[in-house]
Amino acid sequence: MKENAASRVVFILLLFLSVSLLNGQSPPEKPKLVKCRSPGKETFTCWWEPGADGGLPTNYTLTYHKEGETLIHECPDYKTGGPNSCYFSKKHTSIWKMYVITVNAINQMGISSSDPLYVDVTYIVEPEPPANLTLELKHPEDRKPYLWIKWSPPTMTDVKSGWFIIQYEIRLKPEKATDWETHFTLKQTQLKIFNLYPGQKYLVQIRCKPDHGYWSEWSPESSIQIPNDFPVKDTSMWIFVAILSAVICLIMVWAVALKGYSMVTCILPPVPGPKIKGFDVHLLEKGKSEELLRALESQDFPPTSDCEDLLMEFIEVDDCEDQQLMPRPSKEHTEQGVKTMHLDLDSDSGRGSCDSPSLLSEKCDEPQAHPSKFHTPEGPEKLENPETNLTCLQAPQSTSGEGKIPYFLANGPKSSTWPFPQPPSLYSPRYSYHNIADVCELALGMAGTTATSLDQTDQHALKASKTIETGREGKATKQRESEGCSSKPDQDTVWPRPQDKTPLISAKPLEYVEIHKVSQDGVLALFPKQNEKFGAPEASKEYSKVSRVTDSNILVLVPDPQAQNLTLLEEPAKKAPPALP
Amino acid sequence: MSGSRLLLLLVVSNLLLCQGVVSTPVCPNGPGNCQVSLRDLFDRAVMVSHYIHDLSSEMFNEFDKRYAQGKGFITMALNSCHTSSLPTPEDKEQAQQTHHEVLMSLILGLLRSWNDPLYHLVTEVRGMKGAPDAILSRAIEIEEENKRLLEGMEMIFGQVIPGAKETEPYPVWSGLPSLQTKDEDARYSAFYNLLHCLRRDSSKIDTYLKLLNCRIIYNNNC
Repeated sequence: MKENAASRVVFILLLFLSVSLLNGQSPPEKPKLVKCRSPGKETFTCWWEPGADGGLPTNYTLTYHKEGETLIHECPDYKTGGPNSCYFSKKHTSIWKMYVITVNAINQMGISSSDPLYVDVTYIVEPEPPANLTLELKHPEDRKPYLWIKWSPPTMTDVKSGWFIIQYEIRLKPEKATDWETHFTLKQTQLKIFNLYPGQKYLVQIRCKPDHGYWSEWSPESSIQIPNDFPVKDTSMWIFVAILSAVICLIMVWAVALKGYSMVTCILPPVPGPKIKGFDVHLLEKGKSEELLRALESQDFPPTSDCEDLLMEFIEVDDCEDQQLMPRPSKEHTEQGVKTMHLDLDSDSGRGSCDSPSLLSEKCDEPQAHPSKFHTPEGPEKLENPETNLTCLQAPQSTSGEGKIPYFLANGPKSSTWPFPQPPSLYSPRYSYHNIADVCELALGMAGTTATSLDQTDQHALKASKTIETGREGKATKQRESEGCSSKPDQDTVWPRPQDKTPLISAKPLEYVEIHKVSQDGVLALFPKQNEKFGAPEASKEYSKVSRVTDSNILVLVPDPQAQNLTLLEEPAKKAPPALP
Repeated sequence: MSGSRLLLLLVVSNLLLCQGVVSTPVCPNGPGNCQVSLRDLFDRAVMVSHYIHDLSSEMFNEFDKRYAQGKGFITMALNSCHTSSLPTPEDKEQAQQTHHEVLMSLILGLLRSWNDPLYHLVTEVRGMKGAPDAILSRAIEIEEENKRLLEGMEMIFGQVIPGAKETEPYPVWSGLPSLQTKDEDARYSAFYNLLHCLRRDSSKIDTYLKLLNCRIIYNNNC
């Protein structure tokens, strides 16, 4: 019996199935939960996708249970969210709790359940777009005009209490343009746009986003027409600036064109070329050396006229410690003229030195100081030591009314333009310069002095400095040697040989000496100056022995009998050497 | 999604910088030695809590993508948070009805209870085979920021409720053994739970702080 009943049921079921299969009916397909969204973190809605209904009317139900609860609930609201949706109101929404949601499709044939969806409302927040978007063109009086965009927060978001934190994005563009101009704001619900193009129709859209969640959809487009006379940027200011700069440029161009060269020279003064008085560059260019030299010769060379202005120079040979009386050649290049130098008559007793402050300070004050003479120093300068050269020495006006002595400054073969300090061991610190003894001797009390010109062609300058006693009438200058210091030029320094003997006018019957020569071991050989009265030159006696030193600055020389044999010219002993009063 | 988060972070950090220019520095010698305004404290705390939640979300997503696909770890993650014993409000109405003292002590409890798990998270993630730098770096950052936020919250608590006792008991985490288990699946599941709970709790802290900020500083008029 039972077996019969069971088999009968099975038979009926199979009949049913076959009948329904023949009709095309089946249980519904599994529905699928699409998404759940919460617009304000207070409620949420879930949507599902139904599957095939199997040919029969199908009902869908949504069931869920919360994390930590066992009770299964059904969806409270199928309507509010639209078809195939479930709306969870505030009452049914819990934050920070997992919802396990399932949708069931039921039809006559069966039930199908979807895969469960695990939802935490915290992470599914997607607000509505902002509402009440308004556009307004404003023209304030003293400010630039702008577009004023206003909106309000989306529905269902509680921003005031701080439960929902929101930010906005606004975008706008002219209707025909392709790229949007975007702006972001945090809490404010308005925005001012400047720099709009007049005559355009602008489209504006806005959307928003919670602090943690999804962006909303874009609001529907709002449009506004900018009138044609809408003042745009402050182009008027820029136009003014452009015109002003153009005018300034024009003025500058005009000034340059007019002034031209003089402006350039004002800004960039040309490098001064060398100027030698009496030296005509053009003649040199033409290659007429004869004329050139003649022109030079016509200058005062050697100086004979303004001897009043010339300071006496003293040759002083110092007692140097290491017996090295190094010359300090201060030679100039041939192209440059003689620089006059002002002797510093201080406690240094008139000795100038290359390191002396007066000299250094005067250097290059006038690089083209009065080249009154032309000097061509030549001759090998075989000094072992580096040379100090003073190339620009100036002759400022002597304060004591003394004249200047032009010193011939001879430059060595490797001359530098600036004096540089010499190591003291090599040089006597009191040594100075060469005075090329174009000495214009003042004193001996003489009013007029004449300079002894020296043939400089193969001379080296004197090493000793000359101290000059100036302003003292009737004093004879003496050439002195300090005892014990052999003025030893290294090699080949020869005392300048006087070739021209300029007559000395002497008021007193003093004898002058002139440098005759230097002997091989460096002994100065001095001769009393020939008196022109005597006419024929007598054999001069060589005064090369120091008799005594008087008055601490006068050297008394006597002829050296030994040296006599060496001299070329001899003469009988003269009377006593001049003695200074 | 991450782009918008980054944007928000940038915006928020810009705010922070701007704030930093005008506001006084946080007291280096602890609370009570200088007067930092409550507004500044709240602003800072909100920034940090926001940042922590961002980092936690990113870390969770990263882990989910790499280790948890198709594993169904989520089912095991239900009811797995060690802080579920704290009576935290669960919707807006409940939160608004909670007194700010209670809310603040809840926040403090949450922060304190995460100190230990975060420390171990860093250690264990380091030891994880092939751990991507994205996860490890965020874990390290979150641990640091959590400490900062705790300090700030203690200061706020001291200012808002002077004299209140601070030492409330907080839930203790005991999930270390499951992080160190040999079974890889079980270990990854434990990590998943921890990161899931971290994301949630950081969201709670962030929400409560923002609520308190608007309530106390802006008088419910944000």
